[in-house]
Amino acid sequence: MTTVATRAGTSSPTGARDARRRRFPTAKSFVAFILLAIAAFTMFPFVWLILTSIRPANTVFSGGFWPTSVSFDAYVKAWNSTDFGLHFANSMWITLVTVIGVVAFASLSGYAFAKLRFPFKNLIYVLLLATLMMPATSLIIPLYLQLKDLGLLNTQAGLIVLYVSSSAPFSMFLMRAFFETLPDELVQAARIDGAGEFEIFWRIMLPLARPGLATVIIFQFLATWNEFIYANTVLQNTDELPLQPVLFGLVGQYQTDWPTLCAGLTMSIVPVVLVYVWMQRQFVAGMTLGAVKN
Amino acid sequence: MTASSSTLSVGARSRPRSGARLWKLQRSERVAGYGFAFPIAVLFAVFVGWPILFAIYLSFTRWSGFGAPQFIGVDNYTRMLSDPVASVAFVNTIVWAISVTVLQTVIPLVVAVLLSRVWNGLSVVVRTLLFIPGIVSFVVSGVLWKLIYDPNLGTLNNLLESIGLGALKQDWLSNPALVLPCILVVSLWGALGMNMLIFFAGIQGVDVSLYEAAQVDGASAWQQFRYVTIPSLRVVTAIVVSLNLMNGFKIFDLIFVMSSGGPNHASEVLGTYLYSLAFGSTSGSIPQLGYGSAFSVVVMLLCGVAVLVQIVLSRRASR
Repeated sequence: MTTVATRAGTSSPTGARDARRRRFPTAKSFVAFILLAIAAFTMFPFVWLILTSIRPANTVFSGGFWPTSVSFDAYVKAWNSTDFGLHFANSMWITLVTVIGVVAFASLSGYAFAKLRFPFKNLIYVLLLATLMMPATSLIIPLYLQLKDLGLLNTQAGLIVLYVSSSAPFSMFLMRAFFETLPDELVQAARIDGAGEFEIFWRIMLPLARPGLATVIIFQFLATWNEFIYANTVLQNTDELPLQPVLFGLVGQYQTDWPTLCAGLTMSIVPVVLVYVWMQRQFVAGMTLGAVKN
Repeated sequence: MTASSSTLSVGARSRPRSGARLWKLQRSERVAGYGFAFPIAVLFAVFVGWPILFAIYLSFTRWSGFGAPQFIGVDNYTRMLSDPVASVAFVNTIVWAISVTVLQTVIPLVVAVLLSRVWNGLSVVVRTLLFIPGIVSFVVSGVLWKLIYDPNLGTLNNLLESIGLGALKQDWLSNPALVLPCILVVSLWGALGMNMLIFFAGIQGVDVSLYEAAQVDGASAWQQFRYVTIPSLRVVTAIVVSLNLMNGFKIFDLIFVMSSGGPNHASEVLGTYLYSLAFGSTSGSIPQLGYGSAFSVVVMLLCGVAVLVQIVLSRRASR
């Protein structure tokens, strides 16, 4: 993972060619212009979102692109009228428990599949991975019925169980990749020193797999925070709902009150943007590693 | 497997020990192995393995969720063949998956190559910005773009008006011919950053001496791209293609949020149709869990196809 990060920092492979021509880099400037245009197109919806959220309510559909005056009324309204704090806390709670569960299951099993020898290991691993790409839509009907049978329908516990079981295999796959980069001799030496298997995992290997853990945590945080279809299906009781289904419901409710709608959307993406900015390096490195190892 | 055999030989070499002791050590390792893998395996069996089998079973039944499912053989599948909405959903899913695979592979590749050719500082900033749409949820991006496409007040129409293209103004998501392309733009907007980064990492891994050799031979920028970059990225491209194909077959959230499969099923895909059959109140009051499950099975089969494509591509690419 460090290799990706450091490589990304070094100069481009065309460096040699550029050194040869000393004149004004016309081609490079042109490419830079295209890239800036693409970046502008990418960011435009977000700029528009934030500008709309701070417009005074009566100027939304008139006036130019840039608001002439700024008002944060929409944020207050979105927060109060939708019980935003409650749903935000629900999202936080559901995400937190899911992340802890996934990390626990994925690191234990990832370690077992990377470093321990036991019969049928590969068969079990392949079975777990085979349905990694099983889409939520194709399992939603049986899962709904199953939660109903277990009495977990309409409970956050039911939703969390679905999240953990559906996303743990991918994180296990990532953790296994990280554990495999650690030398076997570490395990071997610890065994000779008389350490138990769990002790070796917990005291020696897990601390060394910290970059892997960071990737799993951040990936799982984003995936859980953003999940919609399970949340929308499993929970019907409004008080239990996390943010995404609530945001979806806002569309009908605030059809003409765009500042409030936009303020709600903006507030909902604050945590993911913060996590992205804060742990960007681990995230990007982990994602590319995960994808390339695939 | 190579890892485990080397562990064994290292242990045996560095420390001669009796067979009984080795056996005991291996036993504790086996016990730990099963113990560590057990929780995930149980969760998986109960909440992934069993539901898959249950969906397959349900697809051969008629059931509203009350009473017992009634076994009707392959009736759901034959019904699918004569259901016009089902064929629209099927064709849309295939067309969507293929368009997504092509666009979300080619465009990120080109952007990644461009990024590798500009000043590093600019490249870092652009990469960071391009990634942001990929971290917000489909609900947020769907709703946001729905506002942009809004026929009366949306920014897109305002923009067209202000640059003198007012004639193009329209109700984007209510136009059966435009609704899917419009949503495809949103999908591309969200996926560009991630796929670009995978390609970018791949480009950074290309041997610089290959480019130098190409320059010595007088290769143009295009020739370098065509004969050095592209062949060196075969493995990475195989990954991006199969990820896109799989995500393409899975499509649900964006369409559900932006058009709910409308207008009049014009943007219906298998995911949205099965959801409305099972949970939708608009499609009639009785949930059709059996018929819906038949679509679940079709989606599973399509994902199986995507996995096969991935295996074939990665074999060929790494050869």
